[in-house]
Amino acid sequence: MSGQNIFDRLQSIDRRVFYWVLFITLMVPFINPIGLPVKVVQNTRDLYEGVTGDNINPGDIAIMNFGYGVSAWSECAPGFTVCAKALFREGARIVFMGAHYDVELSMNKLKNDAREDFADKVYGVDYVFLGYFAGGESAIAQLATDAWTVYPEDHYRTPVADIPLMQDFHGWQDVAVVLSSDTGDVGSYFLRQWQGAHGTKLAEIGIAMNGSTDYPYYLAGNYFGLSIGSRGGAELEVLIGEPGEATTAMDSINASHLLIVLAVILANVGYLLSRRKA
Amino acid sequence: MTFILLILTFVAMYYYMYLGKHGKVFKIRTLPAIQAIPEAVGRAAEMGQPVLWTPGIAGGLNDSTQGPQTLAAISILEYVTEEVAKAGVKIAAICPLPDALPLVEESMRTAYMTQGKPEEFDVESVRFISGQSAYMTGTLGYMQRERPASTILVGGFYYEAVIIAEGGNTIGAMQIGGTNNIHQMPFLVATCDYMLLAEELYAAGAAISQNPDMLGSIKGEDMIKLLIITLTGVGFLLGAANITFLATMLRTW
Amino acid sequence: MSQILKREVVFALTGVVTVLMFVEYFFYPQDWIVASTVRNWAVIIYNISLGLGGVRLIMQHVWGTQRRKENWQFSALFLVAFVVMLLGGLVGYFTAGVATNNAVYNWLFNNVYTPLGSTTYAITGFYIFSAAYRAFRARNLDAALMLIAGCFVILSNAPVGEVIWSGIPAIGEWFRFVGQVPGMRAFEVVGALGMIAYGFRALLGKERGFYAGGAEE
Repeated sequence: MSGQNIFDRLQSIDRRVFYWVLFITLMVPFINPIGLPVKVVQNTRDLYEGVTGDNINPGDIAIMNFGYGVSAWSECAPGFTVCAKALFREGARIVFMGAHYDVELSMNKLKNDAREDFADKVYGVDYVFLGYFAGGESAIAQLATDAWTVYPEDHYRTPVADIPLMQDFHGWQDVAVVLSSDTGDVGSYFLRQWQGAHGTKLAEIGIAMNGSTDYPYYLAGNYFGLSIGSRGGAELEVLIGEPGEATTAMDSINASHLLIVLAVILANVGYLLSRRKA
Repeated sequence: MTFILLILTFVAMYYYMYLGKHGKVFKIRTLPAIQAIPEAVGRAAEMGQPVLWTPGIAGGLNDSTQGPQTLAAISILEYVTEEVAKAGVKIAAICPLPDALPLVEESMRTAYMTQGKPEEFDVESVRFISGQSAYMTGTLGYMQRERPASTILVGGFYYEAVIIAEGGNTIGAMQIGGTNNIHQMPFLVATCDYMLLAEELYAAGAAISQNPDMLGSIKGEDMIKLLIITLTGVGFLLGAANITFLATMLRTW
Repeated sequence: MSQILKREVVFALTGVVTVLMFVEYFFYPQDWIVASTVRNWAVIIYNISLGLGGVRLIMQHVWGTQRRKENWQFSALFLVAFVVMLLGGLVGYFTAGVATNNAVYNWLFNNVYTPLGSTTYAITGFYIFSAAYRAFRARNLDAALMLIAGCFVILSNAPVGEVIWSGIPAIGEWFRFVGQVPGMRAFEVVGALGMIAYGFRALLGKERGFYAGGAEE
């Protein structure tokens, strides 16, 4: 530390100081919300329009994939909830499934967050929860050709032959749209095995980290819509007109993003000025 | 069209592998990350600390894009283990993938055998930690306790990449990273000293062995890359002139 | 099994499955029973490997506990947690057909595992913060340009960017939709080609590693 001037110190601040500053910065907006407006971008708008209006007919079957675990609820769950609500309001029937072992928790959360929409829906007729599947891309490929072999039972161990909705769902040809919400690669499994192979309409509700990878697929038309992270969830909440968790989280997003930029600027000011001094 | 391009790719690679096997010399540029592996092992030997290898949790072998990354990482593991066996250093392989576990053990055992030291292979040096959170925290814990001098983070990673790599940075380890997952590349580039980007991960085996027919396959791959660049350029020009038959043709199989 | 059979069987099996999958993907729009059966086997094998992982975990931690290795207490704790969750899930499964229909299992999952998982995910933000602070330095022109682009993208992702300057969202969107997309596409293409080349070499037995039985031929 001795011999360090202000510029050297600016570029070598202990990371623990930043951790505390970041923690406090993230907490303050929860106590004192600011509520800046959220502008909706085209990829999110395309996603919402793809699951509403003329793009979905009553009775259409939609697959909604819980590709995220509890740890990613803040990024994926709000957008997923909005899409489920939108599909139910269009009269679509939804097949819920997931590649995470905590998929039941995510399903319970969805049912809680969209309780008004689930209230008049009949399990087995309007929606079904198939539960967790292991087997990765092989299972997704098999789901496209023969869904009943991947899921001989639903999550509650009811044989699919006894579920009315499943009588109409055997493979890709019976599905109008697939919505995958991922922290990983399950969306890309659907991309290769459903959209690429059979042309099924596919959209992604992903975490912010995967956004840069998903943009080319959206621009190429592989995804008809794309929601990125908490911001995408907040945009979907704006579109459906029901602010929720993602909108609440936007204030913290604002604070943390500003803080990162400030920290990077500080470090570079210190770096450039110490180089000039040298 | 995709099928035709795929067959063309195989033909090109096989042709150049054939040429390589029959005496034609192909050179590929040096991969600094591969060249740094002996340096990493040497650093561990000097400091008396182990080397850590870990392949990331994304690379399940039944995934068509992630699985090959794990297999490529295991190829690198074998090379690292050979160096480690030569130097008499310890290695820890923390593998979060149950389907890759037997392959990791087999590779390490084989590497020790090729160095004539089969008795030095310790099966407990292969650790399995399942689940992303457990894997992340378990690897961080290992780093904090054992203080590996060098970490080799190659394979398919999800968001654990930034945490594990930053953890390695905290303990001052020399870090060699490599992944084909675009969303994790920036984090590994920011935190690792050497990096294998995208296809470099897959070419590592050829770069290590300098085997002529393996290098030939990379030459074949480059020829197909040239073809794709040409198609892209031509398609761009045709598209600007509103002629779309090429794009339509490429979209069909 | 002899060394020859070990290699040849692996190659033969991989080759046959590869050809089956190619033929099915390119020539069979509908279900092809042969490929479908092979995929089912792949799913079953993957599920078996999960059990293999479980057995490995138990062995690892039993060794650690038995030999009183360093931090053996954590291995013992792991074994206790493993047994409790396994028994809880099995009881729920055999009594009600659903593993999660058990109070102990649910309590541990909802109140211990879930918060811990969320916490580790949240740690990512802090680590990205410290990595960004440490690594994003304008050491040369390229780094400076990347830094500036990164700041625009970060600020455009948050509503506050528009408040600071109305041009930030437009510039950030340009970087996301136009600036970085060619680079991403290039990575995807070369990564895919590299993967195809790797698979081809592995199928022919030219690649290092377990396929070749170790090292080089």
